[in-house]
Amino acid sequence: MKSRSILFALLASVCVAAAPVLRAQEPQGAAESQAKAAEAPAAAKIDIITPHITDAHAIEVPWPSLEEGFLTKEIELPRWAPVHIGSVEVDLSPTKHVVMLLVAAMLACVILVGAARSQARSARTGRPPKGYANAIEAMVLYIRNEVILPNVGHHGEGFVPYLLTIFFFILFANLLGLVPYMSTATGNIAVTATLAILTFLVIEIAGMKALGKGYINTIIFWPHDMPLMMRVPMSMILSPVELLGKFTKPFALTIRLFANMTAGHIVVLAFVGMIFTFHSFVVAPLPLAMAVAIMFLELMVAFLQAFIFTLLSSVFIGLVRESHH
Amino acid sequence: MRSMFSRAVALLAIASPLLAQEHEAAKVDLLSPATGLMFWTLVIFLVVFFVLAKFAFGPIVAAVSAREKALEDATAMAKADREEAATLLAEHRAAIESARGEAQQLIADGRKTAESMRADLLEQTRVQQEQMMDRAKRDIEAEKTKAVDALRREAIDLALAGASKVIEQNLDNAQNRAIVEKYLGSIGTR
Repeated sequence: MKSRSILFALLASVCVAAAPVLRAQEPQGAAESQAKAAEAPAAAKIDIITPHITDAHAIEVPWPSLEEGFLTKEIELPRWAPVHIGSVEVDLSPTKHVVMLLVAAMLACVILVGAARSQARSARTGRPPKGYANAIEAMVLYIRNEVILPNVGHHGEGFVPYLLTIFFFILFANLLGLVPYMSTATGNIAVTATLAILTFLVIEIAGMKALGKGYINTIIFWPHDMPLMMRVPMSMILSPVELLGKFTKPFALTIRLFANMTAGHIVVLAFVGMIFTFHSFVVAPLPLAMAVAIMFLELMVAFLQAFIFTLLSSVFIGLVRESHH
Repeated sequence: MRSMFSRAVALLAIASPLLAQEHEAAKVDLLSPATGLMFWTLVIFLVVFFVLAKFAFGPIVAAVSAREKALEDATAMAKADREEAATLLAEHRAAIESARGEAQQLIADGRKTAESMRADLLEQTRVQQEQMMDRAKRDIEAEKTKAVDALRREAIDLALAGASKVIEQNLDNAQNRAIVEKYLGSIGTR
């Protein structure tokens, strides 16, 4: 029963993913018919994938009308004048992905704080906790005890809130991308880069705290057990490597999450697009089945990528804290 | 960083013809982060972080550790109870064992006592009987000797009386002697 409803949800999301295609074709067709009614619609390239995976200044909401929007209405978000910080122009107007992040943030807060309250209540009354709070607790405990604490190293409790927040924030943002009408904020490189830069700062501050003055050794390679003649060239060769290593970590985190979240959506849309490429309903079942399969994979990837981001952040923090030269 | 991004773009373009097409078609700039979105991401993430750290993870971990502690306490208590029960059981068992041993001992003692008492009584009876038999024998013997003595004294007295009678009639007479002997013989048969 449950699997059937999940399947239904996936099918629904595939249909919604397909909706922009219909929408994109309709105005096109209308314009063509206005211009030249007799001619078939030109094979003009219609991009259904880019609008889906890129940010926009509008959000889509369900709308009970089969007219222009096909069950969808676009709501324009307010545009604010860009703010100038130094020479950098920052456009702070809200976008689709900002809204998605807000939704993910609210979901995360409501669900996790609700679970925490349920836990606290059950702890007060002495009755065993029940319901979804147990699932949240199991996830929190698993991430904390099996992922964060073993990798971060001794006295790593201070990093638990940050890393757990990373996990759940990314998880909810990833899962929102699978919900019809929603979009994947973690498929935007600005979001993943920000999270990776935050993690980078946490890693480096953790290194400074753990190593003190020895932190400089994680930047400048200076082997104490080598003769000076060897030390200088070794340092000159390996210091850039060390420094580069520091920046490749957040870069890898950024690209990994962004690419994984974007790729799945592109594949799903590409499968759906095959129906329109072949101009036939006959071929529809196969691409749809493939798209459903990819949606299942995406469900797994949503959890996996949140997990991997958290795991790698933990590992990086643990690495810098234990790097005694 | 910028050149890295462009290199990544090139890689992606080689890897995915689809994406490359898109790139040509609509100038999709997937790899240059929008500063505004970065700002909002930072703000939203930090708010989420503070809210979750304060209201979610702390209480969840605290509740779990409290439950773990309660469970540990309960386990420890149960263990202590069990150990106590085991000691009590062992004590009771030992007590029962010792009581049984005592009872056994008592029974054995009683039996032994009874046995010895019986033996004693038997012995006593036997000794008494022997003593009585001895006394009776002695009495009989004594009576017998007494009787024999009395008889002998009587015989002598009679003999003397007979002799004196003979002597009164005839002091040296063969016939007298025969008379005495005859007399004595008559006594012997009597």
